[in-house]
Amino acid sequence: MRRIRTDFDAIVVGSGITGGWAAKELTQHGLHTLVLEAGRPIDPERDAVEHVPPWDMPFRGLGDRVAIESRQPVQHHSLSFDEFSRRFWTDDVDNPYTTPVDKPFHWFRARQVGGKSIIWGRHVYRWSDLDFEANLRDGIAVDWPIRYADLAPWYDYVERFIGVSGRAEGLAQLPDGQFQPPMAMNCVEEYVRDRMQERFGRERVLTSGRLANLTEPLNGRAPCHYCGPCQRGCVTRSYFSSVNATLPAAAKTGRLTLRPYSIVERLQHDDTTGRVTGVRVIDARTKAAIEYRARVVFLCASALETARLLLHSKIANSSGQVGRNIMDHIKHTGVAGEITGWTDRHVIGVRPGALFVPRFRNVGASRAPFLRGYSFLGAARRSEWSDRIFERGVGADFKRRLSTLGPWAMSFRGYGECLPREENRCTLDPVGVDAWGIPVLHIEADWSSNEHALHRDMAVTAAELLEAAGATNIHQQTTPSIMGDANHEMGSARMGRDPKTSVLDAFNRAHDVPNLYVTDGACMTSNGWQNPSLTYMALTARACDHAVGAMKRGEI
Amino acid sequence: MIGAVGSLTLGRHVHALARGAPLRILSPRQEAIVVAASERIIPATETPGAAAAQVNLFVDTMLAEWFTREQRQRLLAGLGELDAHQFLDRTPTEQTAILDRFDAEATPDHWFGMLKYLTVWGYYTSEVAQTRELGLWPLPWRYDGNAPYPH
Repeated sequence: MRRIRTDFDAIVVGSGITGGWAAKELTQHGLHTLVLEAGRPIDPERDAVEHVPPWDMPFRGLGDRVAIESRQPVQHHSLSFDEFSRRFWTDDVDNPYTTPVDKPFHWFRARQVGGKSIIWGRHVYRWSDLDFEANLRDGIAVDWPIRYADLAPWYDYVERFIGVSGRAEGLAQLPDGQFQPPMAMNCVEEYVRDRMQERFGRERVLTSGRLANLTEPLNGRAPCHYCGPCQRGCVTRSYFSSVNATLPAAAKTGRLTLRPYSIVERLQHDDTTGRVTGVRVIDARTKAAIEYRARVVFLCASALETARLLLHSKIANSSGQVGRNIMDHIKHTGVAGEITGWTDRHVIGVRPGALFVPRFRNVGASRAPFLRGYSFLGAARRSEWSDRIFERGVGADFKRRLSTLGPWAMSFRGYGECLPREENRCTLDPVGVDAWGIPVLHIEADWSSNEHALHRDMAVTAAELLEAAGATNIHQQTTPSIMGDANHEMGSARMGRDPKTSVLDAFNRAHDVPNLYVTDGACMTSNGWQNPSLTYMALTARACDHAVGAMKRGEI
Repeated sequence: MIGAVGSLTLGRHVHALARGAPLRILSPRQEAIVVAASERIIPATETPGAAAAQVNLFVDTMLAEWFTREQRQRLLAGLGELDAHQFLDRTPTEQTAILDRFDAEATPDHWFGMLKYLTVWGYYTSEVAQTRELGLWPLPWRYDGNAPYPH
């Protein structure tokens, strides 16, 4: 009988955007690494559905209402959830959590090899010291134990591997990086950019989205072909995900063992040495328990799953900060205005991401009546048949109207920074368990007055951008998002300088447990105004380098 | 005379039935009303219309699996209302006039609003509309943000 290996150099919990990076770095450094993934295997050749046309779907893209309402009542709120991509989100019945009735929280989850890296938004922005020094400057929460200089070489390293298309802008609050050529703006977006430049100079800049979508070939991955729905997978591997890039690189070393259907129930801890010795796994299909051992463990399970695992394992929490300080970006659901002209122009193909307006509030000389700031995503498009479905009329004339593109509209959507607050927290629910008998989370989190102030300001400044572009018929959708909606939940095991007030040190290592690293969104000390995944990846690569060094020095 | 579009529709419908996809909710008469009404909402012009796009099959799927029982009954009652107007015995011009009267008052929740929504959605997501009417397929495999728009 073949002996099943249960001893490894390293265990990585989770195969998403950070787990994939940990797998790549640790195996390339020579460590025999076990990656445990709670969900099923994913093979892009078999599972990617981005080229399935709508007429091949039973509900033509409207989704299986009955199945979604009964099995995915939370997941379907995500912007990238659709009839096609539904397969990449978890089942809410098997994976429940609780919240107070008056504080809903949308926890988007993706249990599968690749995790949420399959369905992520792919915008990648560096932080700057405006962000790393923010808590210290404002006297909020605790100071980050690192600065931009600590992370800059790792941003370089990650960007070169994942492939980032983008435009260098020379802005202090948004450091430039290693870019492939940017994706193009359409004719109306270029016009809006130029009008904004006239009105606001370099204060409010409209730039190409910095996207983890290739515009040039990279390591056998093809440039983007502009088919559009990235959240349904990518058979040409043109956008970065674990399954498209890091996991294949890890497998190539011959030192990767990837085990799907492996739900990590708890970390095993040796109270005499103060170290983790391994993990206890429940097989998702058989429910059998299995134990694996390793010298070092990386938690890359996603921010809230990691908090759940630490709480259930009762370790790394002498600070009492595990589960606290949950943040997410507050979203403004949109401001849009019509742009006259260009009716003889249209767009061929679908660009896989929007344009970007970097933060301009509380930057340089700007002083706004709130802390921190926000960014905008923006895009111009012509209205089409689906925008006019309820117009009056039947017959040939109605058909002609629907089939003809309507006027151009430019729209902006804001993403605002959330302050870390201890009372925004998750705990183990005293009674609820998931389909595998593991205690579920109770999440209690809400926006504070600062987030609401940012959100109100977004509507004002977005309208100013549209007015600068001469837009008419400007309309606003001003309901704040429900916490979790941005899919940027983070902060539940924060980094910090003091073991009394933080969970992780400057290298993402648990203050209490010297061979335990946490590199997913749980580690974040503040929220930033940027999409966070690039920072997660850079922190992961840096933490892996640290762990390998500590092992070589015999500290682990 | 059955036109090219009509025989195409009939042929496809027979084909769908032969494939083992019988109607689940609509009776043959109700289906005939859906085919006729959807074709008046989105008629064949220089491109095929809703009947050729088999919107009727999409409507049947939605009635069987998507709508609530109350919504299903509302739409079926509406088809009965069209039948009471002898809809199938009318000329296309008369059919359009009947639908125009419902359209003038229908909200999205009204049975005619539902039928119109299903017709438009079913048509514009169909292969014939996505390829011939909208020119979205086959996929262009490129991006041009400043392409001439001929309309």
